Amino acid sequence: MCKDPIALETLAGWWLGELPASEAERVEAHFFACAHCAGRAEWLAALSEGVRVALRSGAFGMAVSAPFVEEMKRAGLRLREYRNDPGGRLNCTMAADDDAVVSRLRAPLAGVKRLDMVQRVEVPGAPALEIRLDDVPFDPASGEVLLVLPPAALKKMPAHTASMRLFAVGGQEARLLGEYTFSHTPS
Amino acid sequence: MPTDSPLAALDDGALARRIAGAGGAPDTPAEAELYRRLAPRVRLYGLRHLRDRTAAADLAQQVLLMTIERLRAGEVREPERIASFVLGAARMTAIEMKRGERRREELLEKWAPAFAGATEAEAFEMREPLVLDPDRLAGCLEGLAERERSVVVMSFFADKPADQVGAELGITGGNVRVIRHRALGRLRECMGADV
Repeated sequence: MCKDPIALETLAGWWLGELPASEAERVEAHFFACAHCAGRAEWLAALSEGVRVALRSGAFGMAVSAPFVEEMKRAGLRLREYRNDPGGRLNCTMAADDDAVVSRLRAPLAGVKRLDMVQRVEVPGAPALEIRLDDVPFDPASGEVLLVLPPAALKKMPAHTASMRLFAVGGQEARLLGEYTFSHTPS
Repeated sequence: MPTDSPLAALDDGALARRIAGAGGAPDTPAEAELYRRLAPRVRLYGLRHLRDRTAAADLAQQVLLMTIERLRAGEVREPERIASFVLGAARMTAIEMKRGERRREELLEKWAPAFAGATEAEAFEMREPLVLDPDRLAGCLEGLAERERSVVVMSFFADKPADQVGAELGITGGNVRVIRHRALGRLRECMGADV
């Protein structure tokens, strides 16, 4: 056991290339002589590989940035993208060989500090399902919210309609920024 | 190496002194134990600086073979500071590999002949890299808050620093580090990380 372990956040900074050279060298000198901290750093390396595998598996969805969408493409993921405006309604699908669908929701985001989203999914013959996502990350300057829908789940979905409502949240107030509707048909 | 082995009780420096003190003859058990301990750390260093799994494994093998050869030859001035010696060798070799000055074949030609004996070669084993259970990790990622999941995935998918992730999400690098720190703690707990 290490008497003076390096903080996990410092090890993360080392792994992600954030530390000044002198600090990075100090970290390396420590874990070369310390099995405990080397093990924690190796966990972070395994996390990197695991995140890449998990994202490719399509097991979860998430909000992303526009540059990250390009990174996914460069990594060889096949993406299908749909752009929608407030009040817009689009037909969409997901092919068997698509790795993910990216929904790009244009919205007036200037000055917005926090964004919540309510997604309503309606499958004919079944009760509607409503999901609330709090504090969705976004880049205010981009003018759009980018969502990678959970690919594995989406591929299994029958024809359905999904509506997404974006709310700018400030204090106790929630202001509707737009509602976006997608009519999904399995491919 | 069983944990009740006498070698398991020796620290890295003591192992290195034992190898250096063998008068040039191979001390295979001690060498194998040193290799087992330090090769994964060199591989980790290689993953960070070379960002290539094969190159990192090659780096680990070459640095450890060279280190053991130098220890045998009495060319390591302070065997008790073997970790420092290995780190220095890893830095130099990684720089050469990045510059393309060293190819894997050249490194093998240089150091492999000293370990031609089948028994010795088999003794030097590096455990496989740690792999996180993919289904469990996906479940743990799904359990994070929206912002935490985005920050973790955007950070680690392409090993990107906080300032860059922050610029893409319209927040500061400091904010990214705070979110990432909280998320990593939750992920480690969810994954049952024991180190």
